[in-house]
Amino acid sequence: MLEERKAFSITAKEMVERGKEDIPKELISNEHLIYSSPATLAFNSPGAQGFGVKRAGLSIPGSVMLLVAPGCCGRNTTILSELGGYSNRFFYLTMDETDIVTGRHLRKIPKAVAEVYESLETKPTVVMICITCVDALLGTDMERVCKKATDLVGIPVLPCYMYALTREGRKPPMVHVRQSLYSLLRVQKKKSTMVNLLGHFAPLTDDCELYPLLRSLGIRTINEISRCETFEEYMNMGNANFNLVLHPEARYAAADLNKRLGIPSIELARVYQIDKIKKQYELFAGALGATLDDQIYYEEAKETVDAFVAKHPGLRISVGEGCNANAFELSLALLQYGFQVPEIFANLTSVDFVYLRKIAELSPETRIYSNLEPTMIYYDCSEAQADLTIGKDAAYYHPDAAHLEWSSDIQPFGYSGLRHFFEECEKALKGEACSWLEEKWDGAKTKKEEMA
Amino acid sequence: MKGLWKYISPFAPDQSGATAVLCEMGGLIVIIDAGGCAGNICGFDEPRWFEKKSAIFSAGLRDMDAILGRDDRLVKKVQMVCEKIDGEFVALVGTPVPAVIGTDYKALQRMIEVKTGIPALPLDTNGVRFYDSGSEKAWLSLFQTFAGQSIGMEPGTMGIIGATPFDVGLEGFDFDSQKVWCYGMGAGIEEVKKASTVMKNLVVAPSGLKAARYLAKRFGTPYEVGFPLEQIKGYDSFIENVKKDLSGEDAPKKILIVHQQVLAHSLRQELRRHTNAPIVAANWFMMDKELREPWDVPLSEEDQWVELVMEGGYDLIIGDPLLQKAIPDYKGRYYSLPHFAVSGKYLAFEE
Repeated sequence: MLEERKAFSITAKEMVERGKEDIPKELISNEHLIYSSPATLAFNSPGAQGFGVKRAGLSIPGSVMLLVAPGCCGRNTTILSELGGYSNRFFYLTMDETDIVTGRHLRKIPKAVAEVYESLETKPTVVMICITCVDALLGTDMERVCKKATDLVGIPVLPCYMYALTREGRKPPMVHVRQSLYSLLRVQKKKSTMVNLLGHFAPLTDDCELYPLLRSLGIRTINEISRCETFEEYMNMGNANFNLVLHPEARYAAADLNKRLGIPSIELARVYQIDKIKKQYELFAGALGATLDDQIYYEEAKETVDAFVAKHPGLRISVGEGCNANAFELSLALLQYGFQVPEIFANLTSVDFVYLRKIAELSPETRIYSNLEPTMIYYDCSEAQADLTIGKDAAYYHPDAAHLEWSSDIQPFGYSGLRHFFEECEKALKGEACSWLEEKWDGAKTKKEEMA
Repeated sequence: MKGLWKYISPFAPDQSGATAVLCEMGGLIVIIDAGGCAGNICGFDEPRWFEKKSAIFSAGLRDMDAILGRDDRLVKKVQMVCEKIDGEFVALVGTPVPAVIGTDYKALQRMIEVKTGIPALPLDTNGVRFYDSGSEKAWLSLFQTFAGQSIGMEPGTMGIIGATPFDVGLEGFDFDSQKVWCYGMGAGIEEVKKASTVMKNLVVAPSGLKAARYLAKRFGTPYEVGFPLEQIKGYDSFIENVKKDLSGEDAPKKILIVHQQVLAHSLRQELRRHTNAPIVAANWFMMDKELREPWDVPLSEEDQWVELVMEGGYDLIIGDPLLQKAIPDYKGRYYSLPHFAVSGKYLAFEE
């Protein structure tokens, strides 16, 4: 008899009973081959969606990038080059078969940087050198090569490591690139009324309450690298009194800024449980020895949530990881608001157990799938019903449901993020196109002064 | 400067070319990479991947796998997949990582075949060469492994070798006949197994030539080389427009076609029916001597392309629109004929 072919999954209850020390191999990505489907594109090729190393590496105003790699590593850059704000900012020094074995390409880099510099009518402020797995294996000292190039052209040349091989290491590529981006900041006189928001490569939504809440604390200047229009503005980030870390991958950059420039940091997480948003603001204000009046934003968000809950009781929502949320935290929030979450498509880590335990209490039969697991090729959408999917991956599995990608460049956060989330869910259910969420961030569109 | 590309982004690499050949063949395709290459292959170079499920996997290599050469881990992962997923074969598609660490593909092949009992196709692509090199390896390997014993030819049948979205677009060919097998785009592994039965093969891209020659030697199957131009979208209006151009007062004095060699060759033959102007073919990809004319130009660098156009005296160019980025000072006519391997745009004569 033929064995039934089925996608591997486990219920939240079963997973919690097994505990974080006993995660099935099927849910651990380095224990199996990685299935490649449209649902895994963001994992396999982060640059293909949102911000990968290449796009992120060009966050410094006026910078250009020289990708030093075999041609295959630059192939998808054709798409990026067509995006507004990125055309004429990518250059390639392609390696041949001798280079990848001997490393002789390293000698060519300073000259290539000089030729790129000379060829540009508007001179770049910085040249980012992006290197890939080949140089990871060759053990290239790119800092040294960049220094030589800096000496030759007279502008900063920085390394940018697109080492997919180190994805689960201590310092994965997206952590490294964040550190690189802020590495040019120098010690400057502190301005007590200035703060940097670290973590994202596009700004928070213009109406995010974090801006007025910070102003209520006496903050006058809120820096985000994506809103910096000039190199000088970017360099001013060195004046900040403290950094707010909004993405865990920016922790290393924040620690580096603390060490080099003495700028301390506080981390705020993006959560969708309204009581946790409130609690986080309380803790944040407490850490600064102040209080924050967030009631108006809380009520506004609560009203939106309540209206959506009342209108769509028992909605079945499948949640993926290809969105601006932690899939487990978002699932928990949705369950707490009263919706059903039959499936979560996400890479489970031990950190997620804090949410998973509560999910298991509220919805023990919620099934957890890993997008990356090979048997996902057999996933059948009739395994669970979904009225709405969140994330590109969940949408792939349930083509007939309503879809909210929720993966815009512009970042949702806090109460306004929660409010926008349900507003966009409503649009998705009506079959209406999303608005600002569809836009690619291609530069500082909203100046800081306008924000103020 | 050699190797420096300032205007044109990199072309499709050999690992994408190999995968494109195998995509519809019912095998398990394992990209020996850390993840990024599989993402590029599927997300950019394989448009069919978005439309239908295909068993493409990344080996998910990590630094210590590469440094310590842990092939046994890879074999174990492949074995696990073979136990859960049905496939006719396991293709091992190389990337820069195995190229740097000197992976022994033959050994991998043997280990996987012993462990799984499934044929393994080792394809030592390295991400440095272009798509056609990988396709050529895959075509040859497929026919060498699966084309069975000669069982006699069936009258009126034809095989098409070389078709992938890179060279012929997403739709492939429409020949309105059950007796035409377009390998890799419509015809799968079962047809490859019966390759000895076709009366002749048509090679539509240089990457298919080696396999066609192999089949000619093994089964005596004759082959022709040519591209059915009339199947390209927009061909009729293109040829009408170009005929007017070629016969007008300011008819071009020298023509350049930049595309894959078989298509360029067929197009050149067609244009020669309407003009006596010299027509040169150029590209960065394979140029087989069977089709190459003495004045044709094999390119290897971006600078060479700029020099060829600016100093070659051409006043009509047919080629991928992306290539125009490098020649803003060119003043002649430019007919856009996308090449998926260059710009990622589908083959069509554009207005």
